[in-house]
Amino acid sequence: MQTDLFTFFNPSEPCAEQGGPLQGKSFTIQPNMSVCDWPTEAGSPALKKFVAIEDATVIERLKKAGAYLVGSTCMSELGFGLAGDTTGKVIAGGLSDMALMMDMMGEVRIAAARERVFGFKPTNGIISRFGLIGLVPSMECFGVLAKDPTLIAAAMGVMTGQDERDFSMDETEPPSFDLTDSEKLSIRTMGIIRECVDVLEDTVMSKFKTDLEKLKTWGFSIKELSLPDFDLFRTIHQCIGSVEASSSCGKYDGVRYGHRCHQAKNWNDMYLKSRAESFGTLIKSYLFQGAYFQFQNYDAFENAGRIRARLAGDIHQLFAECDVLTFPTGNGHTADPKTSNQVSDIYDELALTLPANVLGIPAVQIPAFSADGEIDPGLQLMGPRFSDARLLATACRLSRSVEGGR
Amino acid sequence: MEYEAVIGLEIHVELNCATKMFCDCPNSAGADPNTNTCPICLWFPGAIPRFSEEALEKAALTAMGLNCIIQERSAFDQKVYYYPDLPKGYQLSQAHLPLARNGWLDITAENGETKRLRIHKIHMEEDVAKLVHEIEGRTPISLVDFNRAGVPLVEIVTEPDMRSPHDAMEFIRVLRTQIRYIGTAECSMEAGTMRVDANISLRPKGSELLNTKVEVKNMNSIRHLGDAIAYEINRQTASLHAGDPIVLHTRLWDPEKSITVAMRGKFEGPCIPDPSVPHIVVTEDWKKKIQARLPEMPGAKAERFCRQYGLNREESLMVSGERELSEYFEAVVKQKVSPRTAVHWIFSQLAPALKEHEQRFNDTAVNPERFAGLLILLENNEINAKVVRKVIDLLFESDQTPADIIDQQGFRQVSDVDQIEAMIRDILAANPSAVNDYKSGVEKALGFLMGRAMQALKGKGNPQIIREILIRKLDA
Repeated sequence: MQTDLFTFFNPSEPCAEQGGPLQGKSFTIQPNMSVCDWPTEAGSPALKKFVAIEDATVIERLKKAGAYLVGSTCMSELGFGLAGDTTGKVIAGGLSDMALMMDMMGEVRIAAARERVFGFKPTNGIISRFGLIGLVPSMECFGVLAKDPTLIAAAMGVMTGQDERDFSMDETEPPSFDLTDSEKLSIRTMGIIRECVDVLEDTVMSKFKTDLEKLKTWGFSIKELSLPDFDLFRTIHQCIGSVEASSSCGKYDGVRYGHRCHQAKNWNDMYLKSRAESFGTLIKSYLFQGAYFQFQNYDAFENAGRIRARLAGDIHQLFAECDVLTFPTGNGHTADPKTSNQVSDIYDELALTLPANVLGIPAVQIPAFSADGEIDPGLQLMGPRFSDARLLATACRLSRSVEGGR
Repeated sequence: MEYEAVIGLEIHVELNCATKMFCDCPNSAGADPNTNTCPICLWFPGAIPRFSEEALEKAALTAMGLNCIIQERSAFDQKVYYYPDLPKGYQLSQAHLPLARNGWLDITAENGETKRLRIHKIHMEEDVAKLVHEIEGRTPISLVDFNRAGVPLVEIVTEPDMRSPHDAMEFIRVLRTQIRYIGTAECSMEAGTMRVDANISLRPKGSELLNTKVEVKNMNSIRHLGDAIAYEINRQTASLHAGDPIVLHTRLWDPEKSITVAMRGKFEGPCIPDPSVPHIVVTEDWKKKIQARLPEMPGAKAERFCRQYGLNREESLMVSGERELSEYFEAVVKQKVSPRTAVHWIFSQLAPALKEHEQRFNDTAVNPERFAGLLILLENNEINAKVVRKVIDLLFESDQTPADIIDQQGFRQVSDVDQIEAMIRDILAANPSAVNDYKSGVEKALGFLMGRAMQALKGKGNPQIIREILIRKLDA
């Protein structure tokens, strides 16, 4: 079991010191997160035999709060897509209380939805990225999967806050993750985006409608809103994401670490061969797309940046009319890890989660609206920046309602 | 057809910050290879660049000293290219939103008039690693030293306002003086802490066209910069006369052969906004604080020296040319030494002596107080010029006051008129032929007799008094 689900299984003793908010809770990481002396290959030969030399800030903080590490799960190459990822299974199987996972286009939420657990992506910039071997810096962040949303909130409370090793963080004071003030954190109105609903697969659509009916019976009002440019989220993510990924992967040259080809005519040949041998087909396609925008079509990239800013404005306006937006988490597409070697497969699967990454806003995936055996694409809530605690408080409330209704 | 050259410069200047631009590694040359490194400047996975405030302050101070306007918002971009000296595939530089724009420097043109040359922009960037190619031996190898990777630089891009090698060389001289004044960089082309690339194009004289330019690199002195530009102007002129079009490309200056050689097509990699380094937003208050750290610049200082100390233009330019020197000069004058005496002795004796002793104006044992003490003795006729030279040497060897030295050495000059008169009487009596020569109009004879008198007084006689008495007696 462990060999299937973990790249490195090394459970430490639960911390003896008492009183930390996460005392006795176990957690896993992905191999793109730095733990001192742990293999950190990020699912790619580009980082073959790379061993981290210090702990990521979040890991340091979680340990300090009393949580203990179990191991490092399996992940897709450099975290692009979910091929081979085992994080959801580790949580569903009870092998760990919570799991850290990188969310750059919704991986945390989709992995959680597949296994019917909770998955949370916080506001970008409230958690230090130091020690995260990322791919798309402006869109990715640490996310958490767990069966218990209160545990996610507790972990967030520990992980957030300024870190002098990550100057790219938001300077605003991070939100409190104290969920006891339920009045302040309650929400009434959930918005749905018409242009999103229109493109849902039939099975997902009918499930979503059932979910909305349930939400209404639990006292939420549902408001239909319009965002004509909704379909641009995906395009924008792909354009900007591929460019940032291309830049981020520039450092994998096989010189200082990672795989280096055996024979080469000169340095240029060495770089080309090492990189060609290191990257898999899927990530290569993505990097090529990024290089295309960088070298051949910079205007498109600039436009993407402008549209991204406009979409942020549009969403801001929608949040004036509702507390949160709601979507299904998955949309019925599942990229088959064995055959999905096209970038578009990944984008199909994560089309409904990636808007939160484009905008840097928080989102939570909520399971268990469905009876066993039913298809469950999961339900997703997205809120404005810094509404993290409200989303988690709502997740807790819904989880209680679901259990109460059973 | 007659052509005129249009020249613009791109100048990289290494800032003398304590640390690198995005990490805490020391920014110091001369360390063992790859010792000034860390996960950030080696671009290990998981590291995040941490922009140094000192780099920003020094870059802004430099830009202000070059009369630029600091932009309220600036940002770093990734200049993408793949080369072994750049371990992450892009260089952090400011392409779209530079730190500063619209500066200028005044130079003296060939016709002697002041010419204002404009600076288009100044931006910050990180230096790349240094490649060491070892081509001797069986297998040639290339080594990478990351000590320089991440060292803070500013790049100064001028407008194409220069028309001759002279303009370009003068611009670099003035720029170097200004920046050394500001104290933010060493600016040595020889040591590579200042690197100058020239963009050169030709156009029919009188036209306002901007034609295809050629970039020339690898000049490691101001003279080579001038030579390379002159060579390139001739080469392009010959091409145009022969009917060959000028192609955009980069050429390398070969200092051995004094020619430029085609290197590659000019490569402009893409510049992508960097998602990890936050935008830099500066406030008016911050700018004022930095501005307050700017010293009086050499142009203004030279003018003040003319006005305040009665120096002529040439003298004041010389004295204000280096900040340490100008401050030394003012400290000497403050001790009540006449400014022109100070200028004369600083340049004729002290500067060469400092060079010989490998000391600098701001840290020499011959501090302004001691040096002024010596010059005051001279101005009070207590010693003569010859003695001044000797005492300067002695000042380097002990920490005695100039007065103590001259007393100890018996250098105090003889100004006793009676003593000198008696001595001159003897000399005139002993050299009748020289006296006759003088009387028949041979000027040289006076010099001979002066020499004899100085000798008799062991070099301590007051030459002015000797001369007066000698002439009085000879003319009697």
